[in-house]
Amino acid sequence: MKQVASALHTRAGLIAAIVLALVLVLAVIGPYIAPFDPLKNSGAILQAPNATHWFGTDYLGRDVLSRVLAGAPLSVYTAFEAVGIGLVIGVIPGITSVYLGRTYEWITLRVMDGLIALPFLIFAIAVAALLGNAVQQAMIAVGILIAPAFYRITRAAVLSHANSQYVTASQLFGASLFRVIRTHVWSKILPTLVVATANATAAGLLIVSSLTFLGIGVVPPDPTWGGILASDLSYLSQAPYGPIFPSLLIMATVGSLNLLADAIKDTSGDHGRVRLLKRRGRRVGTA
Amino acid sequence: MTALLEVSGLRVELGHGRGRTEVLHGVDLTVEPGQIVGLIGETGSGKTTLARAVLGLAPPNSGTVLIEEQNTTKLRGRALRAFRRSGAAQYVFQDPLRSLDPDRTVFDTLVEGLVVQGGRSRDELRDAADRVARLVSLPAELLSKHPGELSGGQRQRVAIGRAMAVEPKLLICDEPVSALDASTRITILELLLELRRERGLGVIMITHDLGSLAGVADRVTVLYRGNVVESGSTQEVLLAPQHPYTRLLVESVPSLFDDEPLDSNRRGELRDAVRALELDEPVASVAGTR
Amino acid sequence: MSVLLDHTAERVPLSSSEPQEKDVHPTPLLRVKELRVTVATSAEVVHGISFDVPKGTAVGLVGESGSGKTLTCRSILGLLPAGAEISGGDIEFAGDSITTLTRRDAVRLRGTRIAAVFQDPASYLNPSITVGAQLAEVFRVRGRLPRKAARDEAVELLHAMGLHRPAHVYTQYPFELSGGMLQRVLIAIAIAGEPELLIADEATTALDVTVQAEVLELLSQLRRDRDLTLVVVSHDLAVIAQVSDEVHVFRDGHIVESGPTRQVLRTPRHPYTRSLVDSHERFGIDHIRRQRDDR
Repeated sequence: MKQVASALHTRAGLIAAIVLALVLVLAVIGPYIAPFDPLKNSGAILQAPNATHWFGTDYLGRDVLSRVLAGAPLSVYTAFEAVGIGLVIGVIPGITSVYLGRTYEWITLRVMDGLIALPFLIFAIAVAALLGNAVQQAMIAVGILIAPAFYRITRAAVLSHANSQYVTASQLFGASLFRVIRTHVWSKILPTLVVATANATAAGLLIVSSLTFLGIGVVPPDPTWGGILASDLSYLSQAPYGPIFPSLLIMATVGSLNLLADAIKDTSGDHGRVRLLKRRGRRVGTA
Repeated sequence: MTALLEVSGLRVELGHGRGRTEVLHGVDLTVEPGQIVGLIGETGSGKTTLARAVLGLAPPNSGTVLIEEQNTTKLRGRALRAFRRSGAAQYVFQDPLRSLDPDRTVFDTLVEGLVVQGGRSRDELRDAADRVARLVSLPAELLSKHPGELSGGQRQRVAIGRAMAVEPKLLICDEPVSALDASTRITILELLLELRRERGLGVIMITHDLGSLAGVADRVTVLYRGNVVESGSTQEVLLAPQHPYTRLLVESVPSLFDDEPLDSNRRGELRDAVRALELDEPVASVAGTR
Repeated sequence: MSVLLDHTAERVPLSSSEPQEKDVHPTPLLRVKELRVTVATSAEVVHGISFDVPKGTAVGLVGESGSGKTLTCRSILGLLPAGAEISGGDIEFAGDSITTLTRRDAVRLRGTRIAAVFQDPASYLNPSITVGAQLAEVFRVRGRLPRKAARDEAVELLHAMGLHRPAHVYTQYPFELSGGMLQRVLIAIAIAGEPELLIADEATTALDVTVQAEVLELLSQLRRDRDLTLVVVSHDLAVIAQVSDEVHVFRDGHIVESGPTRQVLRTPRHPYTRSLVDSHERFGIDHIRRQRDDR
C-alpha cells in the first residue's frame, strides 16, 4: 500500500492514521477493558458522568463507557464488512466491463443502474424481512447498495487507461488480460480506489449506525454506536449529554477516514507522482 | 527471399452501427527483411489503421496480412496471443511520454516482452536488459529510473528497446521522431538505421512528414484516403512523383535551400487535380518498380 | 558580412534615441533587449535575449522545446504562464517599453497592435459559437460596426484567407472545420483588428504538410498585402526558411546565432545550427533533392 504510506508523510494523513489506529485498537480490546458488564442493568439510571461511570449511565442503568467500548468491534467490523462486499461486487465487474465485450458491459451497466435506483432504506428493510434481521444480512444489503459506486469509480479509472499505448504494447507481447490489468491497469486505479474505499468506509460506518438506530441489523441489547445513540436520543430531556459520547466516536472515525482519503488523493496518481519526484529533488521530465 | 510482410487487398472498417465506414479500401504493402519502408499520408489517410491491422489490433474485413508467410488475420484469442509471444512484429508509438507506463521502471519496461514470454530467471532478465540498453544506447544507470525522470530522446530509446528486446523481425514505427526535438531526431533515426543494418530488421515508418523520411527509407508508399496512390523506391517517388497527390505532397515540403519559394500556382493546380479524383473508391495506383 | 551574434551592438543604443539619429536608424517595430525570464522555482530560463524586428520584415525564432523561444514570445504578448516573470531587460514596441504597461494598456495593445496565433487553433475558439460569429465579434468590438456590416467584413476576410465558400464557413462551428481551416479562421481573427505585428507560435506544427504549405503561403501573402510584420516561431528550420528574412537560433535560453536566413542556413557558424542543417541534409527532402542536383 504505497499510496497509504506516502499519505502518512502529510500532517493530515498522519493525524487521521493515528485516530484510526486508536479506533482499531478500541475495536480489538474494547470489550476486554470495559469496566462494567455492558448488558447489566442497575438501579442507577440516567446518571451524569461521574467518577464511577465516566460517561454516565443509560435509561436501564447500564454503564455508557462500557457499552461504547463493547460496541466498538461490531460497529467497526460491520462497516468494513459492508465495504468489503461492496468492493468485491463493484470492482471486479468494473474492471472487466471495459474488456469483456459490449454485451457484458451493457448487462453490468444496467444491473448497476438498477441497484442505484433502489431506495436504500426500503431495500435494507426488505432484505432484513427476507433473510432475517441480523447483522450479516444487513451488511450484505449495505454492501450491494454501495457496490455501484465502486463499479462506476473503477470503470471510469480503467476506461481512462484501458487504451493507453503501454497497454497496447503489452497486448502486442501476447500478454493475457489478467496480466495487463495486474501490471499496468491496477496501479493506475488503486489510488482512486483507496480514496473511494476510505470514503465508503466512513459512509458504511454511518449507514451501520443509522440502520441500528432504526433497529435493523443489530438487535438490542447488543451494543453498537448507532444503537447507543438511538436509545440516548429518547432521553434527551433527562440526560442531554447522552448522545455526545457515541457521536464523538462516530465523528472522529468518519472524519479521520475522510481526511485520510484526501491525503491519499493528494499524494497519489499523477499529481502525487510529481510531488514525490519534487521531494526527492530529482528532475521532473517535461514534455 | 520471401517477403517479411505481405499485405494484400486489405480492407478495414472502423466504428459501430451506422457510423461504420471503410477506412482502408484494399491496400497492398510489402516489406522485405532489412528494408525501411516509409508510409506517408495525411491525417485520416488510414496509415495508423493500416499499422494496427498489420498487428491484429484492427480486424480487417477482407484481404490478407502475411507475416513471414503466416496469415495473421485469422488468428484469434489464444492463437493470436501465442503468435504475438513469438515477437515477430512490434510497434513503436509516436509519443514516448504516453507509451511508457509511468509507474514502472525502465528495467520493467524493457523486459516486459520477455517476462510475458516466460521461462527466464531474474539473472537472465538482468542480462537481457543490459544487452537491450546497450543496443539502444541507454546508460545502464537509467534502468532503475521511471519514465518521468528521462528526457524525450531517452524515453523513445526505452520504447524502441522494449520492442527490440523480443528480437522482432518487423518494427512498425508510428511517427517515431515527430514528438522529439531536432537534435534528438537525428540520434533516433540513426539508431533505426543501425538496427536495420545489424539485425536485418524490416521497418515500416509511418509519418505525415516527408522531411524526416527521405534520408532513411528505401521505399515509400503514399496513402491517400485509404488508398495506396503510389509506391516505389524513395528516389523515384520523391524525385519523379507520378500521382497528383504525391506531387502535391512533394511540392509542399519546405526545403532549406530552394531559392524559389513554394510555387503556389503549381500547387494550386495539383490540389485541384487531387480534388477532382474523388478518391473514395479504390483507384489504380501508380506503382513504381525497382 | 555582419555576424549577428551581437548585432544589437551594431545598432544605436536606445538610450541615445535623439530625433536626428532616429532618422538614420529607424526604430524597429519591436525591440527585445537583454530579456531575462525566470520561472516559479526562481531559475532563470531566458538569459538575456536581444533582437530587433524591423517593420515589414519577417523574423524567425527557431529552437527546441525549452530553448526559451516560446517564453520570449509570451513575454512580448504579456501572456507569461503563472509563476514566470520578466526579471530583467526590456521589450519595446514602436519605441515604447511595453514591459511596464498597466494591465489595461497591455490588453489594448495586444488586441489592436500585436496579435498571435498558436499551435492548437481549436482550443482558442469557443466550440458552441459559429466561427463566423466569433470573427464578426472582433469587428463589432474593435471597429464598432453594426451586426450586418461586421458580418460582411468577416465573410470578406474569410475569403481573403483562401477559404472556399466563406459565407458557408461563417455559419459553421469549430468542430466542423479541419485543422488547416481552423488555423485560417484563427489567423483571420488575429488580423481582423489590423495589428502591426503578428506572432505565429508553432502555428503550422499540428498541420499536414500540404496544409502547412498553404498556411505558410497565407502568412507570406498577408505580409505582402497588409504590410504585416511577422515573428514566426518554430522548431522546424525549414518552416522558418520558407517565410522569414532573418533568423535567430535559440538554445538553452540564449540566442546562439542570428543573421539573414539564407546566410545562416548556407554557412551556419554555431555547431548547433550546423547540426540542425546537417540533419535536414541527411534525412530531409533536401537529401534527395541534392542527389538530383548532383546527377
